[in-house]
Amino acid sequence: MQDRSAPISTGAANLLFAAPAMLLFATFVLLPLGASVYYAFTFWDGFSAPRWAGLANFIRALTDTTFLMSFVHVVLYIAATLVFEVTFGLVMAVLLNSDRRGFSLMRGMFFAPVVLSMSAAGVLWKFVLDYRTGLLNSTLRSVGLGDWAQPWLAQPETALLFICIVSGWKYAGFYMVIFFAALRRIPRNLYEAARLDGANGVQQFTAITLPMLKQNVIVCILLAVTGGFAGFDLFFTMTNGQPFGATEVPATWIIKQAFDQNQIGYGVALTVVLTLVVSLISIGYLKISERGNVTRY
Amino acid sequence: MSRATERRRSTAEWLQFGVAGAIVLVMFYPAIWMVYSSFKSNREIFRSPFALPAQWRWENLIEAWQVGGLGTLYFNSVFVTLVAVSMCVLFATAAAFAFTRLEFPGRKLMYRILLIGLLLPPPSVAIALFTQLRDMHLLNTPWALILPGAAWQLAFTVFLMRAYFISIRPDMEEAARLDGANTWEIFWHVSVPMVWPAMLTMVVLNTISVWNELLFALLFITDDAQRTLPVGLVRFSGYHSTDYSLVFAALTITTVPILILYFILQRHVIAGLTATAMD
Repeated sequence: MQDRSAPISTGAANLLFAAPAMLLFATFVLLPLGASVYYAFTFWDGFSAPRWAGLANFIRALTDTTFLMSFVHVVLYIAATLVFEVTFGLVMAVLLNSDRRGFSLMRGMFFAPVVLSMSAAGVLWKFVLDYRTGLLNSTLRSVGLGDWAQPWLAQPETALLFICIVSGWKYAGFYMVIFFAALRRIPRNLYEAARLDGANGVQQFTAITLPMLKQNVIVCILLAVTGGFAGFDLFFTMTNGQPFGATEVPATWIIKQAFDQNQIGYGVALTVVLTLVVSLISIGYLKISERGNVTRY
Repeated sequence: MSRATERRRSTAEWLQFGVAGAIVLVMFYPAIWMVYSSFKSNREIFRSPFALPAQWRWENLIEAWQVGGLGTLYFNSVFVTLVAVSMCVLFATAAAFAFTRLEFPGRKLMYRILLIGLLLPPPSVAIALFTQLRDMHLLNTPWALILPGAAWQLAFTVFLMRAYFISIRPDMEEAARLDGANTWEIFWHVSVPMVWPAMLTMVVLNTISVWNELLFALLFITDDAQRTLPVGLVRFSGYHSTDYSLVFAALTITTVPILILYFILQRHVIAGLTATAMD
């Protein structure tokens, strides 16, 4: 920022104000991050002394088909969240954008799942999708479509899709709120001018709303992508990689390797790969969208 | 009732109301279904999943509370969240004050380093953090969740507090300086009251994150007496996977108070979120 005026105070003693935050951050974020880079090059069960492994863990990671497939699953998941969370959130922001009575309550209800924990959402939706008594299958049976009832989370073809849908249920409200606030900042006279020129609703949306929301769309896509790669809670709660590894994502697979198999060294190497992938994608994405100057820092 | 609502609604507006209302209701229905299902017997849940309970069995809730040890889970979650969020917001405010109002060696570098935390996903250090906490003898204590919990919210909190400090001119602080106040007095008596609204926003947002945290809680706590709600709930539903009414009851007990709190504080939650996500 250019408008920084002269500092209130100068001198090394001022370091004390930043010290608590920096110490906490260094101890519980930077230190384990540095340790991860070292452990990634070792064979280590977590108890005995780590043995130097060179690149062995990384070579193994490249041939670990479950790990590679977990990236395919997470990319599909992210693609789905762009539809079920970001796009759906945008559509709902437009639909719920009204001063009429009832809309404020509806926005509140639509946002409510965001404040719940992923584990509560996961447990609840396991019931909704339950084969015998779940809401979805019961609804299908009650309208005479009982043949369509499926064990949604227990078959590889549908499990990942339904996790994506639950994720959409949980987070569409978050994106709705961001887009809603942005919609309120668009000057109304732009729409009035467009109406005078004879633009219909859809034309107004594509010609005014979308361009005005470009900044928010860029930020929301970044949030969905970085958040998606780190996704763990919902996958762990609902299927933990099952059925037959169809919903295995990097985070769930890493935890299994490290804690169920006691291969800390290998698990850490996988976390390093995940960190690299996430960092490269975010930095690349920010570079590409830099013209929209989302990076203020 | 605002003036706009007094006008008669056009057909398009009724259509908008109807479509939006239908979508919102369908999406909110599972939460309502969860609450009334928790009062039913397992037999009723199997026989007629949609129907209201023939008899409202409050004893389901009492049983779930006792069997699941929900009191302990609640207490642990409250303690961890309270300490971690206070720590994070206080430290972050002091750091944001230092980064925007003070001058000291390494100021820019430190802020840059802190920003690493904005893009880093927690699973990327979870394993190394586990071995580190074990060596520090912190596993199975609330501190295993409090210290990493606060640390992982810092980057985001400092980032937004710094933006808030920058948006306010330092006139008051400079006046206090001229009156002879020292830096600590300026921070505590001038700056903190000034940025208090932003601090409250950060309290709300950090509370949601820390309260719902699952991964660290799963790995760093293996002692049932120290568990927090999200892990407790997942384990409970695993143990009692066939006792539907009991799991519904536990779900209701753990989510309804949060939902009520949310609807009371709704304006603050949403205002805070939009204020932050726009920057």
